[in-house]
Amino acid sequence: MTEHVTKADVRRIAEYARIGLTDDELPQMTEDLNSIIDSLKPITEYDLEGVEPTFHPIGDLSNVMREDVEGLSFTQEEALSNAPAKQDGSFLIPSILGGGDAS
Amino acid sequence: MSSFDYSALSVDDIRSGLAAGDFKARDIAEAALTCIEAADASINAFLQVTPDAAFAAAEAVDAAVAAGKLDTLGPLAGVPVGFKDNMNLLGTRTTCGSRMLENYESMYTATCVQRVLDAGGLPMGKLNMDEFAFGSSTETSAFGTTKNPWDLERVPGGSSGGSAAAVAAGMTPVTLGSDTGGSIRQPASFCGVVGVKPTYGLVSRYGVVAFGSSLDQVGPFARNVRDAALALNALVGHDDKDCTSQPCSTDFTANLNEGVEGMRIGIVPVFMTAEGLEPEVGEAVLGAIQKLAAAGAEIVEVDLPNAAAAMSAYYVIGPCEAFSNLSRFDSVRYGFRDPGHADLGSQYEASRSGGFGAEARRRIMLGSYLLSAGVYNTYYYPAQQVRTLITDDYRMAFGECDCILAPASPRTAFKFGEISDPATMYLSDIFTISINIAGNGGMSVPLGLGSDSGLPVSAQLICPWFEDEKMLRVAAALEREYGAAPIAPSYADLTASSGEPAPSSDLGGE
Repeated sequence: MTEHVTKADVRRIAEYARIGLTDDELPQMTEDLNSIIDSLKPITEYDLEGVEPTFHPIGDLSNVMREDVEGLSFTQEEALSNAPAKQDGSFLIPSILGGGDAS
Repeated sequence: MSSFDYSALSVDDIRSGLAAGDFKARDIAEAALTCIEAADASINAFLQVTPDAAFAAAEAVDAAVAAGKLDTLGPLAGVPVGFKDNMNLLGTRTTCGSRMLENYESMYTATCVQRVLDAGGLPMGKLNMDEFAFGSSTETSAFGTTKNPWDLERVPGGSSGGSAAAVAAGMTPVTLGSDTGGSIRQPASFCGVVGVKPTYGLVSRYGVVAFGSSLDQVGPFARNVRDAALALNALVGHDDKDCTSQPCSTDFTANLNEGVEGMRIGIVPVFMTAEGLEPEVGEAVLGAIQKLAAAGAEIVEVDLPNAAAAMSAYYVIGPCEAFSNLSRFDSVRYGFRDPGHADLGSQYEASRSGGFGAEARRRIMLGSYLLSAGVYNTYYYPAQQVRTLITDDYRMAFGECDCILAPASPRTAFKFGEISDPATMYLSDIFTISINIAGNGGMSVPLGLGSDSGLPVSAQLICPWFEDEKMLRVAAALEREYGAAPIAPSYADLTASSGEPAPSSDLGGE
């Protein structure tokens, strides 16, 4: 099997995707991704010169737009109802700049 | 009132029974709950059962019937319906089969669910699925596997496995599922029921947790074609909240009895000789072709020269869209949060690795890779060009035929754990995936039991864009030959006598 991605690549991909990967999980994920990427080969073998891409099925149709008018929306309380942590009507998160304290 | 055989009732039977006063919607809700309790102990199709919501909806139906207004109720009046657990219903959790959303309480109701409620349907609960719909066996659910009612050692297919199994066991006559690469049609095939993936754009996806937004479509499962058509009548049409949803005024039941005389049915030779197609499935599909020919259809061969590339195009496009859609799970606004992190970055990573299962993580990682700079032009852009070729193939093919007949799944239901390699699992969808790529409608229709396995075998019908009534018409013709989908044998007796009209005293919900 061709090595499309190395363990170091997979580590980088995981960081970009914000998926924590342990050192134990890294070899299996690398193997799985290489196996799947291998199966995508047909895509690279087509002569696609001059073929327009289709990013969306049924491209002949247009979006159906509504009038831009104010309507009902979620209350602040509703929007926060599933938050794992909240405070003073806001989502509560740990420090993002470092050095601080979540409290 | 006399007792009634709840599981045998079609949507029309329920309506006429309500009209004749044979039973009330409340009795139907009771019977459905009894039946779910009896059958689901061994199947695990339902992640939640919603008796209060079912009784409330039944009360509204019964009030309308008592007032002589049954005619004003929609096509699903008094019909118990279950929903795949990626569909929001206010008052329920919507888990997507994932730890990530284990405690997520729906803040609103998905449009497809609302349309069922507006049509008089009784919401019975939420159905198990592969995590975030990533899978073909319902084995990736974080909340246990769902068993195939035909053989409890086998998978029900997936990702809408709970939706298919609930109908096959007679728990509800109709359920909803979603289909991104075959997730309605393949489980319908494994469980021997009718499953419809409508043309992309027919049904709103608002409130259905997104997987691949250019591929996802919602559709019904049922035990007969007319019930599926009635459900479609309730589901379709434009919704302001999903700008891909199109206006539609088709009555999908209108031409079910017209037969196939004069229709041109396309067959795809390369599908019939595909590697991995089990002989008993191929035989059954050939048998269906012969029956349609005998019924007066003209059988024509059509070519889909780029169909072989559909699988790889799908495993580029699907993970890329999933990567993007699943980036919303940030452990901040909702969803699983791994506790105790001092910085946001490590909270993101720990929450997303702890909340997502192995297959979800794999697809997110794959999408992350495929969309990265330098790789984009190798896979993603060419996949979208291949999509053009596949779409053009179907457009050409439908110049020569009204409807295509193909296998739905290459094989009958497999055993738990039988397929562990992801790339092999993906082959479950070789006959369904290209239809999502092109956006056409497709459906599974049961062809009885396989000559070798004795398990349900299906054909797939594929229609031109927004001509879904054509495939339903062909499906109805096949149903006249093969009969409507039976309830799986072990469950037919279990659920047969569950319809005792409630005594006049109020039993209350729960």
